[in-house]
Amino acid sequence: MSIKRILIANRGEIAVRIMKSARKMGIESVAIRTAVEPSALYLSYADVVFDNTDDESEIPVFLDIDKLINIALKTGCDAVHPGYGFLAENAYFADKCIDNKIEFIGPSPDAIYKMGNKTIARKIALSNNIPMAMGSQGNISNEEEAVKIASKIGYPVIIKAASGGGGRGMRIVRKPEDMEKMFIIASKEAEKAFNDPSVFIEKYIENPKHIEFQILGDKKGNIIHLGERECSIQRKHQKLLEEAPSSALDEKLREEMGSMAVKIAGAVGYYSAGTVEFLLDSYRKYYFMEMNTRIQVEHPVTEEITGIDLIEQQIRIANGEELRIKQKDVRIKGWAIECRINAEDVQAGFAPDPGKIEKLSMPDDDYVRVDTGVTAGSAIVSSYDSMIAKLIVKGSDRRDALKKCKLALDKVWIKGVKTTLPFFRMLIRHPKFTGGNFTTSFIEKDLDQFYYNSEYEEMLAAWLATKLFIEENLTDESIKPDFSHSREIDPWLLNKRISQF
Amino acid sequence: MGNEKAKIRKLYAVSSGNRKYVFSNPLRDNIRIGNRKYDIKLKQDDKFGTYILWKNRKYPVEVVRSRQNRYEILFNDISYVFTIETPFGYRRMKVLSRQKGRKEKELVRSPMPGKIVDVLAREGSQVLKGEPVVILEAMKMQNEIQSPVNGTVTKISAKPGVIVNKDDVLVEIKVEA
Repeated sequence: MSIKRILIANRGEIAVRIMKSARKMGIESVAIRTAVEPSALYLSYADVVFDNTDDESEIPVFLDIDKLINIALKTGCDAVHPGYGFLAENAYFADKCIDNKIEFIGPSPDAIYKMGNKTIARKIALSNNIPMAMGSQGNISNEEEAVKIASKIGYPVIIKAASGGGGRGMRIVRKPEDMEKMFIIASKEAEKAFNDPSVFIEKYIENPKHIEFQILGDKKGNIIHLGERECSIQRKHQKLLEEAPSSALDEKLREEMGSMAVKIAGAVGYYSAGTVEFLLDSYRKYYFMEMNTRIQVEHPVTEEITGIDLIEQQIRIANGEELRIKQKDVRIKGWAIECRINAEDVQAGFAPDPGKIEKLSMPDDDYVRVDTGVTAGSAIVSSYDSMIAKLIVKGSDRRDALKKCKLALDKVWIKGVKTTLPFFRMLIRHPKFTGGNFTTSFIEKDLDQFYYNSEYEEMLAAWLATKLFIEENLTDESIKPDFSHSREIDPWLLNKRISQF
Repeated sequence: MGNEKAKIRKLYAVSSGNRKYVFSNPLRDNIRIGNRKYDIKLKQDDKFGTYILWKNRKYPVEVVRSRQNRYEILFNDISYVFTIETPFGYRRMKVLSRQKGRKEKELVRSPMPGKIVDVLAREGSQVLKGEPVVILEAMKMQNEIQSPVNGTVTKISAKPGVIVNKDDVLVEIKVEA
């Protein structure tokens, strides 16, 4: 059997990313046009576009299993790539694909289910002697039990949703008297987000680094790892910047953690690309956290330092091909950094700032890779995530990568929405970050300003404000700059402008 | 009127952080730093939109909002708010701000459009600075809206399940003396 046509059950940059690899392999792609983004960039990468704009359902098509299967069958697809998010880690969807003789480009439904349920995943890790933070043996049913278990493992503890991910349904508890309230919040949040109120408790590791291992496995039982990524720069469990490799690991620790990652993947008969996440504490002890059974947003940094196209590997594995890369063939070369440029207002607590992207220009230097699903004129819609682009920079070592990242950040030009660019411009200059001396609590604890502006920038802005004031109030001529690109012109101001003519 | 306008020779741009920048009227297209003058140019083209050219570098600019003498400028992806004052207006502003006492009531507003998932605050209850009072879901993320002050909750306008706009008042808190 060989895959000839793939339904892309996703949108945005990851849809573009998948279609690029498919095309390179001579495989056709089918993308879905939605009413929310009828002229999105990803559609232009598809061989076939399925029009779903007349769909009036409240659920996005990318979450609608029956509809997706139908579209795949209707358009003659023999495989589905779920990307990340949406149904990427939905065992039922994977199962449905198989039922309909459509290849699901990802792991088996069984592996998705076992790793997706954190309680089962913990049991598997425990029985395979994978180091783990102490925790409850299974789900916790009420506050009293939570208090009892927490006092046994010792505070601080973290409450996590059994079906969770992405930081939702997670609460850190530092004192027994907070437990009742936090337990109720976490459980409510878990039910809302995952349709499952079950939660469990774990020892909370203070100030760890987030280290994850990329693994690849085939259907014949071969599993390898492609080294680690460090994703400690996160805010409320949302990753903002990732790099590979990590400055915290040496060859020995890399080998040890890598083999643990391979071991746990093997325990569920894992195939396709997957990620095993660990926390690394200040004593360089590591703890298994969870396994993500999909391609990750930050996969490009691994691709850049290994030269391996992960999407291509996923497709080959789904096709039943044996992994051609052996563990000893994996060579890590150079250093890669990814900045997630999101439409968010860093001056307002990273609040999403959806809107139309008026101008977009990205650096085209050969050390830069840009993965994006938007172009000038595209909209960042509030129904989806706020990602604009991933800026990936490669250097010969960390120092070189940081230097190039700084240059590249100054070359990115986005108008129309506020972005996380000022945050990265600050980060790349922060001594703790450049020194490798940072943990997952960096943003929360070590920062007092979330953005960078060079000397004189405020003064130049003041000059512009003064210029406008003079033109609007103190001159009689109506020669004014055109600010039609500004996002919101006060109606009061417009009226005033009109009355002056 | 025209005469009065012509009399204004100086303008102050006062930032939200209370930094004062002095400009002359008419405004010069250069700024002196030390003993060198640097040109500032406001330009616009199809590729970059509106931008300021300063020391051979382009900086994206946008006017986000303006109301009377208050301007919100987006400069190189960062927002700045200025009030433009004449020397007379500036003196008056300083006097007024000295007279203004400290806040007694704090309005907790929604920082973004979204859906209220949960209201944690109860009317009449004490809250501490940083304590979550409302959970708001926006763009697939749950956000804790925290109390900016220590105080007592006097009124709750937020209801679970309700969609709110940016700047809608969610909770009122009487600030602890």
